[in-house]
Amino acid sequence: MTSADQVARLLALVPYLQQHPDADVRVTAALFNTTPRQLVADLKVLWYCGLPGGLPGDLIEIDMDAVELHGRIRLSNAGFLARPVRFTLDEAMSLAVALRALLELGDSGLKTAVQSALVKLEAVIGTEARVGVRLAGGEDETRDALAAALARGVAVRLDYHGPSRGVATRPLVDPERIVVRDGYAYLDAWSHERGAWRSFRLDRIVAVTPTDRPVSDHGAPPSPAGGWLDHRQDAVEVTLELAPEARWVTEYHPIRSAVIKPDGAVSVTLLVADPAWLRRLLLRLGPAVLRVEPPAAAASAAEVAREALDLYES
Amino acid sequence: MNLTICLLMARRFLPRESIREAVEGYHGLSDAAFERTFERDKEELRAMGVPIETGSDSVLFPDEVGYRIRRADFELPPLEFSAGETVALGLASTVWDQARVADDMVRAVAKLRAAGVEPDADRAAHLAPSLAAHEAAFELLWQATNSRTRVRFTYKGVERVVEPWFLANRRGAWYLLAFDTTRSDRRLYKVARVEGEATVVGEAQAYAVPEIDLEAAFAALEPRSADLWAVVAIADGRAPELRRRAEPIPGDAPAGRSLFRLAYSEDRDPVGELAAHGADVLIVGPESLRAAVIDHLRGVVGLEAS
Repeated sequence: MTSADQVARLLALVPYLQQHPDADVRVTAALFNTTPRQLVADLKVLWYCGLPGGLPGDLIEIDMDAVELHGRIRLSNAGFLARPVRFTLDEAMSLAVALRALLELGDSGLKTAVQSALVKLEAVIGTEARVGVRLAGGEDETRDALAAALARGVAVRLDYHGPSRGVATRPLVDPERIVVRDGYAYLDAWSHERGAWRSFRLDRIVAVTPTDRPVSDHGAPPSPAGGWLDHRQDAVEVTLELAPEARWVTEYHPIRSAVIKPDGAVSVTLLVADPAWLRRLLLRLGPAVLRVEPPAAAASAAEVAREALDLYES
Repeated sequence: MNLTICLLMARRFLPRESIREAVEGYHGLSDAAFERTFERDKEELRAMGVPIETGSDSVLFPDEVGYRIRRADFELPPLEFSAGETVALGLASTVWDQARVADDMVRAVAKLRAAGVEPDADRAAHLAPSLAAHEAAFELLWQATNSRTRVRFTYKGVERVVEPWFLANRRGAWYLLAFDTTRSDRRLYKVARVEGEATVVGEAQAYAVPEIDLEAAFAALEPRSADLWAVVAIADGRAPELRRRAEPIPGDAPAGRSLFRLAYSEDRDPVGELAAHGADVLIVGPESLRAAVIDHLRGVVGLEAS
């Protein structure tokens, strides 16, 4: 029995193998996001496929000895399936939307290539994309300067307006890569001052000054997967009870869990790696925070608030 | 698979009986089993983009229905990409961080490779784009928007049937622009706030999407323009992101501070935003804003004793 998934793969596999004579089993399996074992099973199904009639000359030919002994695929007598099937709508959209997402992420060279690839693709799809993406990727100049530094392999000095300290900093960093988390683009870079990996939001970088200092090898930065706070070993768990109007916190911050109470209040558990970040969150939410657990986690915010109140009352 | 090849090679519409004879897999099936299997295969092939036509070649007996696949509708047209464009395609192939759409993407890229295009992500190794969709309703809305299928869901406690027009991602969150048939009104929905399970209603290609000014439709998601003015005293060297938006003004500021004029908007929580700066930013006026910030800060002091 052939499943729908398998047929979809076979219909692309036959033209692919004609385009790539003597293809490697493992490489091909990886490209089709399947296992070498499944790929060989696919080939055995193909062996029975061909023109109606089922006579030997009508069937697709595959050298199964070459597959099993040498891991190479030689397929012939399939001229009737020389091109892949047109894209389905979902396939075409997945590609078009992904290209659009790159528009606000790459440097100007990549941007031009993305735009022309989109034009060609849309001519084939014949329909307009009904999905749009806008990423917070900062200024074009910032991305161009970072792309140039990444290509040259040199350190840069950033003018950075960080989120939690309320001051501008000018860190010297070895840039490593640009990643996207939750709609914001970040530069992952090795900070010389801190001797550690840091992430810088692209839309908070005001200026990039290249240096002539070559970057050195610092190993791999932490995984770009979501929930980056989980990777911090020094993070503490803090639970906030929030009034209904502050429920947006659950949508904008990485949270461990959220429990909505009958009265509409919500109890949110967060992993806090940066005390300054929690201090700012509490100062921003103010009376919308009903309770903090442990209460000591609110001490630093309360102290800042008292300091400000003293100035207002003096 | 053999059904596809059989129909693709047919020069005319093939009646069911001929198909049953020609395709090895249908041999030995009972009439009922053949009908079932054939119907299922046909639907599955259509779902994966194989255009199976139904029709008749006979002028005399137009009711004798047969099936065929026209090669021109079936095959992906020729595509030529420059080296730069294949890098873009390679990068694009790594973007989706949503299981279902990532699968669509794998199939799309497999078709590109089968057409002789080689997407190449290695040459842009320092870029790791990603587009996620954690919202439970996303998958269904993605398919419904692409295929123009009506959807039923509950939003703000009200059940409604909508015609999805456009999906948009803004700062990591997904929004749906749709026509609410229950209220005969165009609306913007935050996908994360769709309650319970969304379901499709009726067939695909069920309605037309009108020409819409998307910029205007999604303008509500962009920060509202600031139309009110505050005077603040900012400590020297602090709060750079406020300074960037503000304009220095003359006047007597407390020692170590400078005065700025700052535009703000009532619906962007100016009290929380300004209070978050603590003693770095003191509000000079208007009096209502100053009083609100002082109240807010008193609330924060109270937290420690909570």
